[in-house]
Amino acid sequence: MAGIVCAIRGGPYSRPTIEKSISLSIEKGQKIFFLYIVNLEFLSNALHANIQIMEEELREMGEFILLLATESAKAKNVTAEGVIRKGKVIEEIVAQCKEVDADYILLGKPQMGQSGNVLNIGTMDAFADRIEEASGAKVVYVEGNDAEESKK
Amino acid sequence: MWKAMMRKNQKNNILIAILIGVSFLLILSSQPVDAEEFLPNQNFLIGKVADNQGSPVIDADVTLLDQGGNSISEALTQSNGIFTLPMPNVFSNDLTVKIERHHFEELLVVVDNSDQQLLQAGNTVSIEDQVMVRVINIGFWVATGIFIVVLALIATGKLHTTLSALIGASLIYLVSYIGRPFLEDIYIFNFERSLQYIDWNVIFLVMGMMIVIAIVEHTGIFQWMAFFAYRTSRGKMWLLLPILMLFTGIASAFLDNVTTMLLMTPMTVQIAIALGISPLALLIPEVMASNVIGVSTLVGTPTNILIGSFGNISFNDFLSNLTPGVLVSFIGLTIYSWFIYRNNLKKAHKPTPVLMEKLAERGKITQPENLKKVGWVGLGMIVLFVIGESIHLLPAVTALMGATALLVWIKPNIEEMIEAVDWTTLVFFMSLFIVVGGIQEVGLISFIAENIGNFVGDSLVLSMLAVIWVSAFLSMAIANIPFTAAMLPVIGYLTATVPGAESKVLFFCLSVGAAMGGNGTLIGASANMVMAGIAEAAGYKISYADFFKKGFPAVLITVSIGTVWLFIKFVL
Repeated sequence: MAGIVCAIRGGPYSRPTIEKSISLSIEKGQKIFFLYIVNLEFLSNALHANIQIMEEELREMGEFILLLATESAKAKNVTAEGVIRKGKVIEEIVAQCKEVDADYILLGKPQMGQSGNVLNIGTMDAFADRIEEASGAKVVYVEGNDAEESKK
Repeated sequence: MWKAMMRKNQKNNILIAILIGVSFLLILSSQPVDAEEFLPNQNFLIGKVADNQGSPVIDADVTLLDQGGNSISEALTQSNGIFTLPMPNVFSNDLTVKIERHHFEELLVVVDNSDQQLLQAGNTVSIEDQVMVRVINIGFWVATGIFIVVLALIATGKLHTTLSALIGASLIYLVSYIGRPFLEDIYIFNFERSLQYIDWNVIFLVMGMMIVIAIVEHTGIFQWMAFFAYRTSRGKMWLLLPILMLFTGIASAFLDNVTTMLLMTPMTVQIAIALGISPLALLIPEVMASNVIGVSTLVGTPTNILIGSFGNISFNDFLSNLTPGVLVSFIGLTIYSWFIYRNNLKKAHKPTPVLMEKLAERGKITQPENLKKVGWVGLGMIVLFVIGESIHLLPAVTALMGATALLVWIKPNIEEMIEAVDWTTLVFFMSLFIVVGGIQEVGLISFIAENIGNFVGDSLVLSMLAVIWVSAFLSMAIANIPFTAAMLPVIGYLTATVPGAESKVLFFCLSVGAAMGGNGTLIGASANMVMAGIAEAAGYKISYADFFKKGFPAVLITVSIGTVWLFIKFVL
């Protein structure tokens, strides 16, 4: 089974990525797997943080974000599924691509000056190489602002 | 299976027994203790030692020397600075009292001839109160440096907050134990002395409330509140915003702000996404409301817990002295929030049926029976918090009894409960008390207090303005918990010296400034950081600059209103 993995976090920068995955799915006739990764690293320095409860809450929030994405796909008669994984972003993207034997992995292109993200302008090529090498899927970066495709 | 259940029940019972035992110990510790007992017919030389601000000097070595400089009696000063030297049966005249204490100059007091005659006659004699002068030595600078390093580590987030404080405490022990043989003056304090700085009322109050929160957070009440706010507002943003802010604020007044925001934020994000607006337009006002309304109760913010315990300020005192001002500040904050986010909020549309269904599913109470029990116990706790002062019941005991009642009644999984108690937070508080104790011990706090005292003079108005606004601005830059812990002895000094401050108004000024000032920056309050982290996980990043642009005016508005209220309440 081949497919398209579309990693999203929600928010305005994910919309072009979702749209691109839908158009790519129509073009290739492949199923989309919208992927949301629960990452609790931001709580590592926080006091009073109940990690177990927080993981449940972020899963619920992720499900909601994925529901929004799958609804967009359904509206265009595209088969899509929401997947939630927990862990480090790169490892989980690779694992998901391997699991569904993905041909493409779509990621939002990091913005200039964006900090605190796993991905940034300086590391995106290395990141793509690593994913392609590990999973065999082709990495497609999607511009956040105008949704123009920016292949590696 | 049965054995496993028995083991689980045994563990439950052990934890409950510990909590009950600790409650009793705290109750006993709050009872007055009889003074040290001596043999009948024994006479004494009594005195009192204070520093130059009038604070008692504790654990000073007091030695009575005879004419030849030989020690004939020894004692330690107690928590009130008083020493009691038992007189030997036979002694010569020309007595001298030698008082020694680390971080103070040695003091030699010659006993008057008339007092010596009275002592010889077997009478007990009280000499004049003595003042010890502090010395600034290498220990002073080392303790100060350690405190600054801890603040910097917490502010930059390079290390976990608890680890930062723990490193500070360990460094103090390191220089005191390992450094002392090489450099006597580097000594700060020993382990036994450091424990005296730990406020166990705070530790047990925080622990008790953590257990209560751990049970509450599983009931689904926060998610229900957020969805209820949406249903009540019927999609009208001018209603949804204040209702969400109010619910978050009320929850924060009784539970801790971080937990409230941890549980309110994901549901708020979902509501905002369903409505097609930026979640930040709801989340930033929510977290600000949490920081503002939390000020109104003793348990609403960690800073209030510290202030209440140090200043002996009851739950009622916070409610009656701060709630009206806090409510007006909240109204000001709500108007400001609507003003800055009105354009975004007006873009809201009706959610699709699928999203609406998902929201409704999430907004259900998951454990209705437990919630009822929590409600009854919570009500009982509020009653005990309110009447506690009149029956000498410490808030920590009420929190522990409430936690115990919930554990007995609900019988939750004990492993989950133990995991839910955030031990790192408790270690953070203990380590912080030691680090702040270090700067107290070496005299930094006295130095700051004296200078602030000189600056404000006898003016209560100037003192109030200085405490509120300095606290507010500093809380934006440094974590407000260590700041408050360090400021408490300073406020204690000003309360004792500034005319009119005996109403404890300066403690309330600190409470308002430290908590509301946290709204100024992303790092100003832990709840801000947690909210921002969850929002970013949903794809809505807020930068430090963006938060400051929204938060700084909010601080000016809310703290100004708080200042006016405190003047109306305590000055006019």
